[in-house]
Amino acid sequence: MDFGIWGVVALVAYLAALVGVSEIARRAKEDHSPTDHFLAGRSLGTFVLFMTLYATAYSGNSLLGYPGRAYRDGYSFIMATGFMMVIIVMFHVIVPKLRPIAVHYKFVTPGDYIRIRFGGEYARYLRIAVAVLMSLALANFLLAQLKAMGDVTEIVTGGRIPFELGVVGLALVILFYETRGGMRAVAWTDAAQGIAMLVGLAALLTWLLSEAGGLEEITRAVTAKAPEKVAVPSHTVNVNWFSTIALMGLASVLYPQAIQRIFAAQSGQALRRSFAGMTFMPLATTLVVTLIGIASIARFDITDAVDTDGVVPMLLADWGSAGGLATAAALIVFLGALSAIMSTADSCLLSLGSLLSRDLLGRDGTSESDTLLGKRLAAAILLATIPVALARDLTLWRLIELKMELLIQCVPAFLVALHWSKLRTGPVLLGILIGTAFSVTLTFSDHARLYGVHVGVVGCMLNVAIAVVGSWLPERGVKLDAANEQA
Amino acid sequence: MNSLSTGRSPWLRRGCLMGIALLYVASVPWYREAGAAPALLFGLPDWVAISVGCYVAVAILNSVAWLNTDVPDHLDEASSPAPRDSEAN
Repeated sequence: MDFGIWGVVALVAYLAALVGVSEIARRAKEDHSPTDHFLAGRSLGTFVLFMTLYATAYSGNSLLGYPGRAYRDGYSFIMATGFMMVIIVMFHVIVPKLRPIAVHYKFVTPGDYIRIRFGGEYARYLRIAVAVLMSLALANFLLAQLKAMGDVTEIVTGGRIPFELGVVGLALVILFYETRGGMRAVAWTDAAQGIAMLVGLAALLTWLLSEAGGLEEITRAVTAKAPEKVAVPSHTVNVNWFSTIALMGLASVLYPQAIQRIFAAQSGQALRRSFAGMTFMPLATTLVVTLIGIASIARFDITDAVDTDGVVPMLLADWGSAGGLATAAALIVFLGALSAIMSTADSCLLSLGSLLSRDLLGRDGTSESDTLLGKRLAAAILLATIPVALARDLTLWRLIELKMELLIQCVPAFLVALHWSKLRTGPVLLGILIGTAFSVTLTFSDHARLYGVHVGVVGCMLNVAIAVVGSWLPERGVKLDAANEQA
Repeated sequence: MNSLSTGRSPWLRRGCLMGIALLYVASVPWYREAGAAPALLFGLPDWVAISVGCYVAVAILNSVAWLNTDVPDHLDEASSPAPRDSEAN
């Protein structure tokens, strides 16, 4: 039996297991409230919280997009280990302040913080603006996962499950278990998926190193084939390195699904311990996938940038075709990669449902009908995203950057607002609108970077400056507030 | 809850975070000649090995920082700014 058929068998068994877990999670539900569905009744302890944070953070982007980018750029993409780690550093800015407020006011979505923190006539618009930015970023993230699911399934099954069927079929499975089991199903499957991902990646790197004769031989082979991918990077690359660390560090802590895990934690202690462990995961994951991408430089000749996202599935097909233990190990990696992708997609979907119903439509009640609305909206978004995912014209890395350039515009509304009580609603809204317009306009006019700095980072600096300077004009603000009150 | 009763040190936490900032600056090879052919260190180009070393150190310091961070579960324990009463909905 060839590797492609084993791939189909493993896939079917894995999906059946996911459906089983969702059924157990459904039975564990305490009620049908949004808190229970979207936050698992705030019951996530250290281990499950750690695994769900891990599996959610490491996605199809990490497993396919990062090796693809490392294949294209070479060793300079070692920056990925740094920017994935800076996310856990940046959580210091948000978690100790946000957690007690979230528990006190029983937050379900990030928009709940905006509702409590900001008042006045512009508060509603600010909440909508933040919800739109976060929803667009999540939909983009979901799109990237769907594309990745299609890619990995098609290549590993030897084309027996075509890209289109992979995208649609796996999306429907996610929709099924997320709708039935909610955050419990997502967190429990994340835990299993995280373990599969770790084991799989370690096995793949070990195989690559033993095949090539060690890390030094891989570096020598890459030097012989593409010396520019080993040489000390240029000034522009270094500026981009700093910029990417800023972009990912500031934007990633504002992932709605990450913020909701701060709300869903059983205790502050569970969060503290989970983050203390999470900080090591870029070394076990991002560094490994970067080295896998670099090792692929000497193995493959890929010219189209979009196709470089397929280096991991191509390696798996090579490895699995050897038969015996290699086939079994390659199947574990395949399931690990698929797990990473699906665990992120399900978290995006869960967050999207709650964000759309509570923050955009204002359904912030606690009844079963509010939960049901969230589920239906999530299903509608998923079905709307599928046709876009079927068009294969953007690299996963470009999708990541687009998403981050939107999310980073929410920095004043959370990171600054949590630490500075004088921050006012109007200037924050104005900053977000101008920062977003600046970033989007430049991005779509093919100026994604200014002197190596992401336009999203420049837009964020502009955005923060407007919010801070505007809030520093107290007299005008007081007069306006007084006038509004009289009116 | 103060740091004495929890055994956590805010000073250690701050020191770790400052160390992390310095390590990030050192992790980018801006101080090297662009395009130069590197020597190998632990099987990696030397500038890559230095970056990886910096990130390993960041992971250790950040873990220590998190273990010394108070994450309160009650609002009265936090120093977070309260919601703005004058503007609250």
